[in-house]
This record gives sequence, structure tokens and C-alpha cells, in this order.
Amino acid sequence: MTDFDAIDALLAGARQEVPLPPAAERRALREGLNLSRTQLARALQVSPSTVAGWESGRDPSGEVREKYAYFLKGARTKLSASDPAGKPAEAETQVAGPPEAGPTVAGPAVAGPAGTDQQHRHGDEHGSGDGGDGGDGGDGGDEDVVALSAPQPCVLCGRPARHQVAGFAQHLDPAHCGTPERTPTTRQAPPAAPPPPPASAHPRPRTGGGVKVVTAGRRLKTADDPDLIAAAVSAALDQHGGDVEAATAALVRRAIPDAMALLDQTRKGGRYDIVAHPWLPDVLRKQTSRGPDQIWEARPKWTRAELPPGEFEVTALDVNGAYLSALKTHLPLGQLEHSTGNQHDRRRAGVHLITPPAWEHDAYLPNPIGSRDEPGPLWVTEPTLRLLLRLSGPKYGLCDPPEIHESWTSGATEGLLEKFRVALKDARDRAIAHDDDVTLEYVKAMYSKFVSTMGESNYNRELYRTDWMHLIRSQAFANLWWKAHRAYDEGLMVVRAMGTDELHVIGDWRAVFPEGRGVSEVKVKDVYTVGTPVAADRDV
Amino acid sequence: MPERTLNFGAYGARGIKGYEAVARQLDALAGFVATPVTARRGLLARLRYLTRSDQSRQAARAAGLTVTDRTLRAWLRGERNPSNRNLERIETAYRAVRRQNVARYLVARLNREGRGTRVEFHPLNQSQVLRPRQRVVAYRTLNVRRWDRIVEAWAAGDAQALDDAWIYDAVVDLGSEWGQYEYVTNIGFAA
Repeated sequence: MTDFDAIDALLAGARQEVPLPPAAERRALREGLNLSRTQLARALQVSPSTVAGWESGRDPSGEVREKYAYFLKGARTKLSASDPAGKPAEAETQVAGPPEAGPTVAGPAVAGPAGTDQQHRHGDEHGSGDGGDGGDGGDGGDEDVVALSAPQPCVLCGRPARHQVAGFAQHLDPAHCGTPERTPTTRQAPPAAPPPPPASAHPRPRTGGGVKVVTAGRRLKTADDPDLIAAAVSAALDQHGGDVEAATAALVRRAIPDAMALLDQTRKGGRYDIVAHPWLPDVLRKQTSRGPDQIWEARPKWTRAELPPGEFEVTALDVNGAYLSALKTHLPLGQLEHSTGNQHDRRRAGVHLITPPAWEHDAYLPNPIGSRDEPGPLWVTEPTLRLLLRLSGPKYGLCDPPEIHESWTSGATEGLLEKFRVALKDARDRAIAHDDDVTLEYVKAMYSKFVSTMGESNYNRELYRTDWMHLIRSQAFANLWWKAHRAYDEGLMVVRAMGTDELHVIGDWRAVFPEGRGVSEVKVKDVYTVGTPVAADRDV
Repeated sequence: MPERTLNFGAYGARGIKGYEAVARQLDALAGFVATPVTARRGLLARLRYLTRSDQSRQAARAAGLTVTDRTLRAWLRGERNPSNRNLERIETAYRAVRRQNVARYLVARLNREGRGTRVEFHPLNQSQVLRPRQRVVAYRTLNVRRWDRIVEAWAAGDAQALDDAWIYDAVVDLGSEWGQYEYVTNIGFAA
């Protein structure tokens, strides 16, 4: 008998589940009261994401369902009491709204009964019902447009807007922004402008005056992104009372720690840690305190052996920011691991012991491994090896493939210093555009000293990556080699390739390389004449 | 996770004790004379360092270089050459005195007025461990603020004290899995 009593008690205790308004309306009610999910969630003692789930179609159950229903009911009463005038007008917009909005409302997120009573009660919900679902779906994806149930004044033009981007109410279509159709007091959507379909609901990037936003998890937030370079420059100028030379000297002196701070800042939220003190194999260690290590960086030092007869005008071209561009290279992330055998893994980078192939084009193109006097195997870095492999491939076929004997490699990425590089490059471009020599010198000192001291230098004790230093330098040399090859390919005569950034060519180089100060452009260092003039009577 | 590994390397893991890696790095930071003691140049450099002042002579004597001043003079002038055993003594005494002398400055640099130094823990090498026995041991970093005991133990050349200081002043701050970092491939930091 007790069993049946228990069942009876259970039956008596079981109540009908409280009906809840459809999902889209739940959100509209909360937003109508200007309550955030967090506030509501705290009151209901659930997490904000749970509330978000309820507002996108899930249903609560049990005690919390009753609480939620109580809140929704209260919110509805309060809204209808506080805004009696707005409702009928908005109900009209529902009638006047585009007919295709109906099926969208009854779309996947909102179940069948979504429409009727919700839209009768809240006409303004209708217009944004589809957008609201789009916004909910956007929470999971990369969409950051949220449809508002009640129009709020646009932050840009002040008129009512039905969407908010990153928490700022604004018009999605610039055409609507600024057309004086309604006064902000009537909380109405302009009937002439049907709400844009969610598919096209991307915010247009506004140039100038916009608030920069970044992703924070699934949401957006305003970018907390101090421009370290500009701040340092203006602080230095202030400190030295506008004395440009003194400010430049002060900035150059602190370039290394500032570059490290910038690196830290650009790696925030990055996928990989910067490992500053890895174990390094012996090939990367200096043999003596002053001597070099065993890595061959393939620095080009090549001069064409002979020129055809005649007099030529040689232009010495200078590659702008060669080390800055070379920061984009495949850098090993973790500890270097040893491997042997003639295989190259494109996902890894490091240093390799190779026997370089013979180079038969020395008469008109520099050797990609530089001016190496000793024969035999040598340790080269990833950029040099990739250059050789590419040249030995079917597309170029300029040499045999190099023979790899052993390698110290680790999984690599090209993006490790990418934000760092872009930050410096942007600052450099801005400085050039505004003729700002202080920033230009500062940026130059930052990247060049960063590269030169990232190994075993006493001037930068925060980063001991000899391998990266070699790789970045080799990348600069490989980039120069490709420039020489391009000049050769386009019909110019390459005369010299030397150092990191110097290329001497004969011919109409302006057709090949753009001239300027940007990193993808070249500038003229020198123009000189070489050769003996052909005597006019020699032809006779 | 046992806190201390009893039988390290039984399944093929390779690494060194954390304190050994620390001592190695501190030695690298201390900057000894690079030329070996067997070369004339290296010997002279060490002897000059050990006989620079009365204090350093005393320190050298305390560190085990118990030869008379007359012998030292003879070595310095090149009239006599130290025996192999004495070369060894010179080397150990030089290292001990040098460590004691730089310890103060190293502590100051590493503590950085309380801001501490970032230390990288490169986990042990499991490449020779059978796959089912391999464990995920991640690369970790830690800011170590108090270096006094660590450097003191290193300067005194006391391996046990250095081990204790390293474990209890630094490694335990890694959290409950600190035992995984008792053995490492490398400890990276700079001063």
C-alpha cells in the first residue's frame, strides 16, 4: 500500500508545466526592460549562457522554469503598462511589414507556435524576429549583429535603429543612417525601410571614427589595444620638449626592451608561446666566446664576373626594411629535435646539414647559398633549404636538389611574429606618410636590434633564440635572391647582389620594381657607369 | 603523481634533475674564464683571479687551494708548473670563489627588486618511452621571485641544498603536478 501512497503523492506533486512565451519573445521582454542576461541570470541563480539558451529555443524545467515564467509574466505586464502608446503603432508596422518576413520567423529556431500571440502582443518583435534569430545564431558563429526588440537611438545619427553591433545601436545600412524619416521619440521602425535580411546583416566597416573591436571569446569587445609605438614616441617628444634629435636618441636607446614589450603585446591570445630559452644543439652554440657558430646564413656577396662590351649605367637598388619583411618566415616553435635522412618536412623548420648542389649559373645569377669557398656539407637554415628545394623543383630546374644529411627541426609556423611585423610595418608606413622621422628611426631600431640581439646577446636577455636569428637573416638573404632572380627573369642584367638589401642592376628596373619607401618597394642608392664606351669606328 | 621520482628513466625517459639544469644556467651566467686551465693563458687568468687580494687568497685557501704563497708566485712567474692534481684544485677553487663573488649580483639581478625572473621549464624527453607509457607533460613557465636560497646553495656548491631550495622555492609553485618537473631537459632563464 505504501507504494501506491508514494505514487499518489508523486501524482499530486506533479504539476502542469508553466507555459512560456516563445523563445524570441523572451529575449524581447528582457531587452524591453533593459536588463542584461547576466542580471537576469543572477536573479534566477543560473548562468548567463543558460539564459541565452532559453532565449534561443531551449526550455527550462522544474522550479527555475516557474521563476522564469514569473519573470516573463512580470516583464510583459510592466512593458504593456509602461508603453501603451507605442504598441498599436508598432502593430501596424507588423501589418505593413514585408510578407517574406513571416516564414523566416517560423524558421528553425522558433517552433511552430512562435508567431501568433507573441506578434499580437508585441508588434515590434515581428520586424526583428528574424533578425533576433540571426543574432542568436550569430552568438555561436562569428556574427556580431544583434537585433533589438525595441529601437534605440543610433550612436551615429541618433535616429532609432533596430540593430546593435557590439553593444552599440546603429543602422546596418549606411543609407538608413542619416535619412531623417522619424523623430527618435516615436519608437518605430521606418516603414519605408524594411529590416534587412539577416544574410546581408554584416556591419559595414566604417572608415574613420569607428570603434575598433576585437573578439573576446564568442563576443566582441572594444579593442583594448594601445598603440605602444605612437605612445612611446609622443612620450619621448614630450619629455624632451619637442627636441627631435634628443627624442630619437632616447627612443633608439630603449628600442630593445620596447620591441620585447611590443612582442609580448602582439602575442596576447596567440596560439603559441614564445619559448625564449630553449635547449639548443651544439651547432647553434658559439664554439668560442667570440667565434661564430656553425650555421651558414647564405649571405649573398656576388659580383658578376664579366659584362658584355659596351658602357652601362648601373643602378644600385636598396630593398626597404629587408629584416622587417624577413620576420615573416617559418620559425620553429619548440625544442629542436634531431633527425637524419634526406627528407624535408614542410611543417617543420630548423637547421639542416646539407651538401649543396653545384651551381652553374654563376655568370648571371648569384649562388643561392652565397659565396661559399669551402666545399663539402654545411649547416644551412630553413629559408636557404627551401630556396634550394624550390629552385631544384620542376618549375625552375636551376640546380639539383640538395642532399640533406641531418636536421634539427621543430614544428613551425609562419605567423609567430606576424602581428609584431604588421604592427611595425604599419607604424613605419604611417611615419613615412606623415614624414615622421622620429617614429621611422625608432621602428627601424626596433626591428633591426630585435633581430640582431635575439641570439646570445647581452643586450637582450629576454630572448635567446639563436635559431630564429639565423632563420630571419637567411630569409632576408633569400628574399634578396628572389629579387635578383626576378630582375634576371624580367630581362634586367644583375651585376651585384650583396649584403642584406643591395642589388645592382642594368636596364629599365622601374618596369620591374616599384620605386618608393614601402617594404615592397625599392629605392635607388646609387647610379654609376661601368664599362668602356664602344668606339664608333669599331663597327666600320 | 608521486612527488619525487624514485626510479627515473626506468621506461626510457631522459632528462636531468631540475637543480642541475639551474646550476648549469647559473654557471653560464656567472661567466667563468673560457680558456681551459691546462692552457697557460687559462691557468694564469685563474691564478690572477685567486691572488688578486688578500681576501681572494683567503677564499682560495678556504676553497681548497692549500699551497704556499711561494708556490703561487712560482706558478705565476712560470718558474714551475702545477701538477695535474693541483690544476684540478686550482680549477675547483677558482669556480668556487667566482661563484661566491658573483652570487650577490646574481641574486639582485634575478630578484629584480621583487619582480622576479621568468623561468621556463622544458619537460623531460619521452621520445624513447613506449607510446602507452608516454604522458602529456607540457612546457611551463613560472615567475620565480625569491632566488636567495637557490643562489646561496649554488654558490656554496651544495647539491642537496640546491635541490631542496629549487624544489621548495620554485618548482612547487607549478601546482599539484610539480613532480613532473623534477626532471627536465632544460631550465631557461636569464639575468
